[in-house]
Amino acid sequence: MASLKYESQARAPLVSGDKSYHQISEDIVRPIENRPSKLWWIGFLIAIALLCFGIFSVTREVIYGTGQWNLNKTIGWAWDITNFVWWIGIGHAGTLISAILLLFRQQWRTGVNRAAEAMTIFAVMCAGQFPIWHMGRVWMAFFTLPYPNTRGPLWPNFNSPLLWDVFAISTYFTVSLLFWYCGLLPDLATIRDRAKLKWRKFFYGMASFGWSGSTKHWQRHEALSLVLAGLSTPLVLSVHTIVSFDFATSVVPGWHTTIFPPYFVAGAVFSGFAMVQSLLIITRKVLKLEEYITLEHIDVMNKIIVLTGSIVGIAYLTELFIAWYGQNQYENFAFMQNRANILSPYGWAYYIMMGCNVISPQIFWFRKLRRNLTVTFFMSVIVNIGMWFERFVIIVTSVYREYIPSGWSTYYTPTIWEIGFYLGTFGLFFTCYFLFAKFFPVIAVAEIKHILKKAGENYKEKMGPEEAETNEKFAHEFAHAH
Amino acid sequence: MSEKKYWKSFGELNLTESYVKDTESEFREELPTEGADGNGLLDGKTPRRDFLKYLGFSTAAATLAASCEMPVRKVIPYLNKPENMVPGVADYYATTFTSGGDTISIVAKVRDGRPIKLEGNELSPITKGGTSARVQASILDLYDTARLRYPVQMNQGVPQQVTSLEAFDKLVMDSMAGQQGIIVLLTPTITSVTTKQVIADCLSKYQGSRHVQYDADSFSGMLQANEASYGHRAIPSYHFDEAKVIVSLGADFLGTWLSPIEYSRQYVQGRKIDEKAPAMNRHYQFESMLSLTGSNADERVSHKPSETAAVALALLAALGGSTNAPALPEKLKAGVAKAAKDLKKNRGKALVVSGSNNVHVQTIVNAINEAVGANGTTITWDALNLTRQGIDADFTMLVSDMNAGKVSTLLLVDVNPVYDHPASKQFKAGLAKVKTTVSFSGRLDETTEQCKYVLPSPHFLERWGDAEAKTGHISLQQPVIAPLFLTRPFEDSLLIWSGNKSTYDDLFKTYWTTKLGSQEGYEKALQDGVIERVSATAPITSASTAYSAAFVTAAVSELSSLKKGGKYELVIYQQVSMGVGAQSNNPWLLELPDPITRATWDNFAMVSPNFIKEQYGLDLNDRNQADNFESHPERQVVKLKANGFETSIPVMAVPGMPDGVFAIAVGYGRQSADANNTGNYIGRAAVDAGKNVFPFAWNNGTTIEWMVTDVSMEKTDDVYKVAQVQIHGSYEGRTSVIKELTLADFEKAPNEIMEDREKEAAKFGGLENYEKEGTLYPYYDKPGIHWGMSIDLNSCVGCGACVVACHAENNVSIVGKNEVLRYHDMHWMRIDRYFTGNLADADSIQTVFQPMLCQHCDNAPCENVCPVSATNHSSEGMNQMVYNRCIGTRYCANNCPFKVRRFNWEDYTGADSFPNNQDEKGVGELNDAVLMMNDDLTRMVLNPDVTVRSRGVMEKCSFCAQRLQDGKLKAKKENRVLEDSDIKTSCQQSCPTEAIVFGNINNSKSAISKSRMGNEHRLYHVLEELHVLPNITYLAKVRNPESEAKEKV
Repeated sequence: MASLKYESQARAPLVSGDKSYHQISEDIVRPIENRPSKLWWIGFLIAIALLCFGIFSVTREVIYGTGQWNLNKTIGWAWDITNFVWWIGIGHAGTLISAILLLFRQQWRTGVNRAAEAMTIFAVMCAGQFPIWHMGRVWMAFFTLPYPNTRGPLWPNFNSPLLWDVFAISTYFTVSLLFWYCGLLPDLATIRDRAKLKWRKFFYGMASFGWSGSTKHWQRHEALSLVLAGLSTPLVLSVHTIVSFDFATSVVPGWHTTIFPPYFVAGAVFSGFAMVQSLLIITRKVLKLEEYITLEHIDVMNKIIVLTGSIVGIAYLTELFIAWYGQNQYENFAFMQNRANILSPYGWAYYIMMGCNVISPQIFWFRKLRRNLTVTFFMSVIVNIGMWFERFVIIVTSVYREYIPSGWSTYYTPTIWEIGFYLGTFGLFFTCYFLFAKFFPVIAVAEIKHILKKAGENYKEKMGPEEAETNEKFAHEFAHAH
Repeated sequence: MSEKKYWKSFGELNLTESYVKDTESEFREELPTEGADGNGLLDGKTPRRDFLKYLGFSTAAATLAASCEMPVRKVIPYLNKPENMVPGVADYYATTFTSGGDTISIVAKVRDGRPIKLEGNELSPITKGGTSARVQASILDLYDTARLRYPVQMNQGVPQQVTSLEAFDKLVMDSMAGQQGIIVLLTPTITSVTTKQVIADCLSKYQGSRHVQYDADSFSGMLQANEASYGHRAIPSYHFDEAKVIVSLGADFLGTWLSPIEYSRQYVQGRKIDEKAPAMNRHYQFESMLSLTGSNADERVSHKPSETAAVALALLAALGGSTNAPALPEKLKAGVAKAAKDLKKNRGKALVVSGSNNVHVQTIVNAINEAVGANGTTITWDALNLTRQGIDADFTMLVSDMNAGKVSTLLLVDVNPVYDHPASKQFKAGLAKVKTTVSFSGRLDETTEQCKYVLPSPHFLERWGDAEAKTGHISLQQPVIAPLFLTRPFEDSLLIWSGNKSTYDDLFKTYWTTKLGSQEGYEKALQDGVIERVSATAPITSASTAYSAAFVTAAVSELSSLKKGGKYELVIYQQVSMGVGAQSNNPWLLELPDPITRATWDNFAMVSPNFIKEQYGLDLNDRNQADNFESHPERQVVKLKANGFETSIPVMAVPGMPDGVFAIAVGYGRQSADANNTGNYIGRAAVDAGKNVFPFAWNNGTTIEWMVTDVSMEKTDDVYKVAQVQIHGSYEGRTSVIKELTLADFEKAPNEIMEDREKEAAKFGGLENYEKEGTLYPYYDKPGIHWGMSIDLNSCVGCGACVVACHAENNVSIVGKNEVLRYHDMHWMRIDRYFTGNLADADSIQTVFQPMLCQHCDNAPCENVCPVSATNHSSEGMNQMVYNRCIGTRYCANNCPFKVRRFNWEDYTGADSFPNNQDEKGVGELNDAVLMMNDDLTRMVLNPDVTVRSRGVMEKCSFCAQRLQDGKLKAKKENRVLEDSDIKTSCQQSCPTEAIVFGNINNSKSAISKSRMGNEHRLYHVLEELHVLPNITYLAKVRNPESEAKEKV
């Protein structure tokens, strides 16, 4: 009978501190109403500076050509697509947290979902820059859109994985954005209601679409959330699957692999959670939200990291095994020489990837380390470095030496403008994130309130005598009563 | 018709007063369209019409402002259209390529008055339509921006324009007047009968004057040896096709030696495999570097330059000559013995040639050829090779005469001894002592800028002329474009200065009309471009070429006393692209990779991998070290010193190089006296391209030798970036890329390749069903035309003519050294080179060349990945590129297993939508050579039938789609089935060895079908297992080494 009780005694509460509903609104909305701190300004200006550098780099590339990057006749993609896949991967945690965890009724998600979803949207925005600006003639990018046109009409090639990318990413972005915004509505209304300044009232009033908090609104909101969650759940799996098709459907040894879709999805969740960790550890500190984003959250996400990291590790080993077992000389060369041979020109990149993605996350088998903020932060950065190298290894070390030995490439290193473009997307990401943290509640206020009754610490105080009893006592009394 | 009146009311019928009044003020108020202020619309602040005006103006202004500014270019139509000239339709004129002594019969394609492409003249019995890279590239020289555009007088090294030819004539004649000394005309070998006549006539008017022929790559040694052995200072005809065994002692007869186009064709005739009765010649190469010819050899033995003579002597000894075999290393001795045995066995069907310019070595070679019965069989005297007539001693004497002040006038025609002669300094000093020096060079080269008067000579496409490459084989030259600049053939100058009234053109016409008997005959000859059996030079009868062994003993003793080589030795050689450097401002040639090292834009010292190991501790046999080494372009620089000359040059490890030997190409390092002038005088592309190593050559007393037996080497800390287009040398045992086998194996198991292919395709029902069964997708018939190409690896010698031909035909851009270094070269057609063998053992190295271009796969991996279908398949089996549709995602290039797709990384052509975007600094900085290619003058070479690609789009081989279209239209107009003769791709046309066959594979009578049917045992597709279904087939390479043949017996 004890299992009928609301409170699990094995789990710590998800919201610590003795929080009232009002207190929650205060805690989360206060930073929005206050002037930004000095720290915020510094961070924001750095982000803007990076963004400007990125814009300059890309401008140069558009004017002078893709030759501003060190790609060559053999290596057609390198940093551009590496960064694209990396950002897309990062953009996976948000939807996973909001959609799949919602469907699985994982309530711990409420502490982190808003920030994670925002991160998803910004990461997808960053990711989208690369396939666009990597085009030789970006002003013709609209050729990829299927619409009736005066050129025949001439349609895009529906066989091409790049076209699938166009659809997959735009769909994913749209649904993620809707989902995020839909969740924001009640919170925006809260801010509106608290607002004292005129512009604030107006702005948040417009943004909250006239949310009144009526039962009907709540009912529709819940229904819409569920529908969007249902829509985005397959997207979480499909987007990276389709991104992996860019490689898996090609003939390039090292790309042409059936294992890619699940392996890419696992990798994406892996890197996405790492990025969530990096951001939240800072956010909770700066915005003093330790009581909402608790060690519990960090712990749970580290578990996901060690799980997905291990899946990725198994995928790496499987690739190696198949390369050997398959006895395809080209694939064998791609894996054994281009990658696993540490002394080969890019051998070092493979071992950075292995070290960061497979070996280092294994420390999270230890609870103590899972709950250590410094370790977690450090690891989250390591994991994202590792995942960047994974994409670099897949893309560059496959193409740079493939079928025809005469085409084997010279050593590729990025130019300043390739690096600039990448840094620029960091600028874009953080510019957006800083604005988000300033103008939107980084934690879903309404949803936190929603779980407060069941998972808040203050709930204990208001327990009835029966609920407050220990399991044994309750069971004993229950037995005697009958 | 009755005058009916229609009315609506009685008022109207009767026109009552009230009706009239009412109708006059029917609309009492203004139409309700007035403005808010109560005024009429037209009185408003912005009345309707004004509004429309504003709208129209602003829209138009925005459109104008937003649209690109289009430069105005005037097109001037013909006032009187020349007969037979249709704009847009090409005309073809037979003419002749001449450069130095080299003469090749060609056909120039002229579009709307400007020549744009040169093709081989198939009527020529010497080349049979073959060309070389240099011939193909020479069209670009016509439009060279550095050509001298008017006569100049040099004043303290500064050229001053002479306004007219008459003024120039007066200047020169005034200068020559009243001189005491002799007049000397210095030319390269003259093969023209009429020019020789003009020279003889003119010089006869000046007592003591003489004509000196000077060849930078001298054959003086051979000419003098032949004079000793056969009584004729002449070069006979070689018949490589008649020889079963060919031994070359360092002669690069497939690349640069004497008449490589002719010899390549002959050589390959003896190597084309008839599958029913496979047989081929055997080629031994003894050489002290790895030459193009050596890389084609069946048996290759490397040796030091100092052993050159000893090898010849040993060979003579082994063939029973009256000499003792000198001491040689074991391997070399064994090689000589093998070759000698084979030569003996094939008496009368053997040929020995030597690349040495040493009279004594050539004397020994003559003795060897006598011993193997070559004279009269593989060497004949009926048609002499006239392309090299210069005698080194003549030039040496000229230099001393000049320095002694005996020469008062020196006329220089297209020679550049200041650059390409080892006695450059003395020559330069001598020039200063000659009162009147006139150069007829086309540009202000190193020698010309030292002369006093310069009258530029026209390009060979701008003038009349004739050339007799071999006695009895005349090739005519006719202008295909009016001279672009104020130029005049030197013959005209000679005629005028010697007081002759007629012009060279008249003399030329009169001579040949007379010789050919009629105007019709003359016109026919011009049309054909070649005249046969109208000998200008008396043929030598076989009786007069009796062999005399008198000089052999002397030669043996001379050669035996040569001193031993030092620790390091050096050879200088010619690359197929650059030759002696006459075309060194030609970006097509500079960017044509050296066939051996695949390096561009520079020369370098080839060294053995062992040298790199000893000196730098880099073991290239170690996969990891080698891979890291080759993937970076930095090459160590060494300082070499010999014959009083010192230079720093990067070293390139080349398998097959003998240890302790440096091999450096000549033709590079062009530089004006003031290096800052190089770009203007010699050419912008030539600036900083390599080092000049001609000064390493030396005079052995009679001839100029290109090998140095003792050179001192000093390591430096410098590195230099060498731009290669291919960095990896091994094909990694990937037999689906390269298939090669020995003749013996092929005879034993001719089915081997086919069986392998069958085995691979077995799970799809064998080769026959592979296409259908190897895929999940439905199969489609391919009716109509289906283009296909076959490339015979056994015929390809790797000369690179096709590569340049492709550039010329398809407007392939030049990217410059900076961009090649970044692996951005644009070659649609490339010749991959792979080595096999043990790096440490030079003689074990074998080389294979593989022309690689778009394979036009029927199941092309590039096509399905393009998001916008910019690359797609034609109904004729071509993989086509739609440049307008391409957005530049480069996925196709990533997915191309053959790596033949080329991306326009930068604006190489100036055709981009962004103006002025070739000026970037830092990353992607373009070399001046690229900008030179975009000069309005240079752009005249572009083929108007082919789109010039802008940056950001992908491009690749199109199978010369424009030519196919042309051929199809021709057949259609004549209402007949397309024939092979209608269509030749540019690469196919240029190939001297007919390694490329192209045509419609659906026509069972076409050459391609026949070739595929006749060679099914050697036929294979590259990477066939990928099921990309290439439309190009390769025929496996067959070698015929001696050791294998022994096994058979």
